[in-house]
Amino acid sequence: MSDIQSARLATIVALAEKQPRLGRTAVMKLCYFLQTLRNVPLGYRFTLYSYGPFDAGVLSDLSTAEALGGVESKTVLYSGGYGYEISPAGRRRSVKSLGSGFIKKHGSDLQWVVGQFGNFGSADLELLSTIVYVDRESAEAGAKQTAGELSKKVHEIKPHFAQPYVQLKVAELQGQRLLKSLRVASGSR
Amino acid sequence: MGHPAEQGLRFFFVPWYTHLWGRLEELARDTHRKYEIRCPVHGFIQIDDWERQIIDQPAFQRLRRIRQLAWTDLLYPGAMHTRFEHSLGVMHVASMLYDSIVQKSREVLERHLHYTKEGLDRDRRLVRLAALLHDVGHAPFSHSSEDLFPVRDRGGKKFGHEDYSAAIIRTELRSAIEDHPLNENTGFNADNIAALIEGSAAAKRALFWRDLISGQMDADKMDYLIRDSLHIGVQYGKFDHLRLIYSVIAIPDEKERPPRIGVEEGGWHAAEALVLARYFMFTQVYFHKTRVAYDIHLREAMKALLPGGHFSQPEGTGLKEYLKWDDWRVMGLIGKGKAGEHGRRILGRNHYRVVHPTPEVCSDKDLRELRAKKACLGGLLVAEESAKKSWYQTGITDIPVISIVKSRHVQPLSRYSKAIEGMKDNNQVLLYIDGADREKAEKRMRQGKVQK
Repeated sequence: MSDIQSARLATIVALAEKQPRLGRTAVMKLCYFLQTLRNVPLGYRFTLYSYGPFDAGVLSDLSTAEALGGVESKTVLYSGGYGYEISPAGRRRSVKSLGSGFIKKHGSDLQWVVGQFGNFGSADLELLSTIVYVDRESAEAGAKQTAGELSKKVHEIKPHFAQPYVQLKVAELQGQRLLKSLRVASGSR
Repeated sequence: MGHPAEQGLRFFFVPWYTHLWGRLEELARDTHRKYEIRCPVHGFIQIDDWERQIIDQPAFQRLRRIRQLAWTDLLYPGAMHTRFEHSLGVMHVASMLYDSIVQKSREVLERHLHYTKEGLDRDRRLVRLAALLHDVGHAPFSHSSEDLFPVRDRGGKKFGHEDYSAAIIRTELRSAIEDHPLNENTGFNADNIAALIEGSAAAKRALFWRDLISGQMDADKMDYLIRDSLHIGVQYGKFDHLRLIYSVIAIPDEKERPPRIGVEEGGWHAAEALVLARYFMFTQVYFHKTRVAYDIHLREAMKALLPGGHFSQPEGTGLKEYLKWDDWRVMGLIGKGKAGEHGRRILGRNHYRVVHPTPEVCSDKDLRELRAKKACLGGLLVAEESAKKSWYQTGITDIPVISIVKSRHVQPLSRYSKAIEGMKDNNQVLLYIDGADREKAEKRMRQGKVQK
C-alpha cells in the first residue's frame, strides 16, 4: 500500500471518528474541502458533476477502509430515498495507524473541516462544495468576479436551488474568507 | 522550404481553376446531408456534415492509429480494434441514452432543470460531441502508457487523458467545431464541449448529462464492453444494452438535490448485468496476467523512446509533440530496435511471467504472505502490479432505480441486486519475474528464505 493511500484511509477513519454517522456524500465533500481549503495533500482528482465535486477514488478508499475493518457502513432508508451512515469500526486504530504521521500532522485540519462542515446535510454540502469548486476554477484562471456573478454561475449548474439561497451560501463562505476569486470591492480579501 | 523563386514557380504551375473548383465544392456542400458509417456493434452510425468535419480532422483521425486494447492481441489475436470506432460507438450510444431520457422524463427536465425544447436540442448536440471526442486525447496504446503522463502540480497529481482531450478540443479542433454553418443554430464554442468532458463549471446545467459520458452506467462502458467482447471473441462483456438504454430515466430527488440518471425497475437486471460484465471483462481480459505483462513492457519501452521518459504537457508545442505519438510510430521505433530490452521482449513475445498472484480480494493474511514472497524473491522480482478496481460504487453514484409499482419509490441498485451488494473491490497483486528465473524463484519461495 502506498503512503498516499495509507494517508487517505487513515483520514477517512479519523473523519468517521470525529463525526460518527457520516453520510457518503459527507465523506466525499469533507475530503474535497480538506484538499482544497486546507491544502491537505490527499492527491484526489476532483471534477465537477451536477452533484458537486467528485472523485471515485474517495469511494474506493472508503470501501477499502471498510474491508480492513476501519469503518462500517449502514444503509438508511427514508421516505422516497436512501442514504448511508459511516461509523468507526473495530479495527479503526489499526487502519488509522497506517497513516499516523499524516493524521498527526493534519489533525487540526481534520478538526477544522468537521467543525465547519460536519453538520450540514448532503444537499447543502453539494452546494457549498460546488461554490468552492467554481470559485477555485475562476481563481486558477486568474478571473475576478463579484459574489453575484459567482452565485449566478453556481445557480446555472444547480438550478434546482433558489437563487437567493445560493447567494446566501456564497455570502457565508465569503464571510469565512474561504473564497479566492471575489473582487476586493465586494468585501472579500 | 525551397528557394522563394522555386515556390513562386510552383504556385504558377498550379492550374488556376483548382482554387475555383475547391471554392465551388465548398459552396455546393450540403450541410444538412447525413452520412452512415458501418459499425460491427451498432450496424450503422449516422453522422451529419458538422460531425463529419470534426471526424475528418487529423487530431481525430489519429485515433485510427491507437488500438483500443494495446497489446491484448498478443493473447487474444482479434483485439485489433481502435479508439476511432469506439469513439463513434460512444457517440451513438450516448445519443440513444439521451433520447430515451428526454422521451421519458421531459417533465422532470423542464421542472427541475428548466429545459425548453431548444435547450434539449442544443444539449443533445453537446452530449454527442462530448461523447465523440472524450477519448481524442488518448496516448499510444490507450491506457497502457498513461503512467508516463507528466505531473501537473506540486501535489504530485498527474495529467489524465481527459486533460489532453480537452486541450485538443480547445486548439486543434476549435475551428472545426465553431466554424461549421450548422453551429449558427447552437452557438457552441469548443470550451462548452471540453468543459463537459473535464467536469468544469463552464458546462453549466449540462453537467447533469456528464454521467452519460463518465459515470457508472455511461455510454463509454456500454460500448467498450460489447465491442471488446466482439473483437476478442469472448462473451463476458455482453449484456442487454438495448433493454438498459430504453429503461434509463431522469429521477427527481425530493431533498433539494439535483435529478439523477437512473433506471426504471424493469431495467435493473440489465444494469446489474452491465456491472457483472465489467467484473468478468476485467478479470478475464483487462487484468489478464499476460496482458498486464505487456503493459509493463510497453511502459518501459515508451520510457526509452520518449524524451525525458515522459509525455509532454498538454499545452502549446507540448501538445503538438504529443499528437505526433501514435501506435504506428511506437511500433516503427520498436521494429527498428530503438526501444531497448522491453521493445525486444515485445517483438519476440518474451514477456515477464507471474510467479505469485494473490487472490482477487486480499485479506490481511494474503498481504502478509505477499510481503513474505517478495522478501524471498529479492532481486528476482522485476515488477509488481496491483488491480485496485471497484466494480460498482455505492453512495452518490449508486444508480437509482424507480419503482412504478410502489408509487415511484426510489432505491439504489445495490439494494435491488444482492450480487452487486456482495461484490468486493479487486485488489489483486501480481508479482512478476523473468521467465528464465522461474525455477530459481519457485525454489526460493518454497524454502521461504528471506533474501538480503
